Amino acid sequence: MSDIKIAPEGLEVARTLDAKGLSCPMPLLRTKKEIEKINSGEILEVLGTDPGSRNDIPGWCARAGHEYLGEREDDGFIRFYVKKK
Amino acid sequence: MSDGLFKEKVKNFFKILCQTEWNATVAGLIVALLSILIMAWWRPWGAVGAIRNWGEWLLYGVGIFDTKPTSIVVSSGSVIGIGFLAGAFISACLGNDFSFKFPPPWELVKAVIAGILMGVGSAFAGGCNVGGMYNAIGNLAANGFTMWLGLIIGVVLGLKYIYWEMEHITWGTAGGKNLDFPYGLKIVIGIVTFAILIWGAYYYSGQSDNYVNSLSGILLISAGLGYTMQRGRWCMVQAFREPHMTGDCTLAKSVALSILILAIGAAVLKYAVPQRGSAVAVQSILSDVIDELDPDEVDDEDLADTLEDVIDAADQAVIAARRTLDPVNYVRGTFGWGAVFGGFLFGLGAMFAGGCGSGTLWRVGEGQMKLWLVVPFFGISNAIMTKWFKAIHMEGVGPTHEGSKLGIHLYLPDALGYGGTIALVVIAMALWYIIVDWNEDSNKLIVEM
Repeated sequence: MSDIKIAPEGLEVARTLDAKGLSCPMPLLRTKKEIEKINSGEILEVLGTDPGSRNDIPGWCARAGHEYLGEREDDGFIRFYVKKK
Repeated sequence: MSDGLFKEKVKNFFKILCQTEWNATVAGLIVALLSILIMAWWRPWGAVGAIRNWGEWLLYGVGIFDTKPTSIVVSSGSVIGIGFLAGAFISACLGNDFSFKFPPPWELVKAVIAGILMGVGSAFAGGCNVGGMYNAIGNLAANGFTMWLGLIIGVVLGLKYIYWEMEHITWGTAGGKNLDFPYGLKIVIGIVTFAILIWGAYYYSGQSDNYVNSLSGILLISAGLGYTMQRGRWCMVQAFREPHMTGDCTLAKSVALSILILAIGAAVLKYAVPQRGSAVAVQSILSDVIDELDPDEVDDEDLADTLEDVIDAADQAVIAARRTLDPVNYVRGTFGWGAVFGGFLFGLGAMFAGGCGSGTLWRVGEGQMKLWLVVPFFGISNAIMTKWFKAIHMEGVGPTHEGSKLGIHLYLPDALGYGGTIALVVIAMALWYIIVDWNEDSNKLIVEM
């Protein structure tokens, strides 16, 4: 896997999904479902703790056509940002 | 060469070895190599042997089982589990993946159901995804293929369940917590664990008992497996699930390649090594020597004693060699409905758990509390089922599982020869590879949400 992509600061988030403590495959499936609830061009923020998401979320974005904006480390969890296609 | 550049290269090396996620194909090849090595050492690895041994201890502890199980540091199955966990834990610490990850409450309910399904499933199949499928096909056992089929059915149904769950269950699905530690501390703990592992291997190798002595290699090779699988996030349930969930077939291809390499390695060991049969040769030569000696003429008692010791050692070596390579020991009498049904239950359980037998163990090593809960329920249910199956001769009797009610005991080379068996594995894995690759672009096999 390539280096971790860091998201720009101050993104305007339309919706936040709390996937903390969830393990594979739940964070990705919840993300898939949650993104249905926002409009094209809006940003979904996913809070996660599963290291596997670092691979799963960007991989799924590439496949589904959404734009993966990157991640930001927070206190004990990671924020992932996805812009809906 | 500047010092700065060299330092940077050292840092890069650490990053690749301990921090970056390993490429799935490379991880799969390393897993195959280590699986062949541990087989050559003397036994294939598995996850359920460890989990069952720990389950037996739990049941013995609360007084349900009255016979004392084998010690967790002597049972080879358990030592594999300990090594594997240690390897995964070291990898998770050095790579900063370790933290106590507490899931929301509903996930804990799923963990209990998952553990029970996996424990019962692996009793029917004669092993988990490792012993019953990966290493079973790798050991050229027919039952590996039937479990593989069952796993696919179970995983697809499990995926449908999870979609249903996301629509209908709202209780306890949020509010997970994470308890993290400073990275520096994790590196120290990782290094200390590595040191303990090495000490453990030396301790085993210093023991005079042949069997206990051999656990040194078992411990280290298993640790290598745990390290590799955590670092590559190499997960077999993902290989089965992902083609139907997102279409991604990276892991499915990697598992197919890994099984193929393992089967070729096993065929080489099982075919060629007994031909050379060094232990057998030693024993027959010594037996001839002894036969020619007239014990009455050997007046040196010490010499006679020594010769007897040598014969004993040779006998032990023969037993060990047979145990290593005799296919009969690793083929289960579940080629039939047993492995299909067991694979189905196990696949379903693995979907509830978010990890198969091996995937559960390496996730335990990175602090996923949900999987910590899966293990005891997996162990207890498997220990109970295994004991019950033994009592009613469910899997037949003897090493060839005479009269098994779960299916047939079939060592593939007995039916197809070694060449035919390898051809079958090649065809099956190539088909799997092509189908998941085709599906990645066509999305024909994706189960829609």
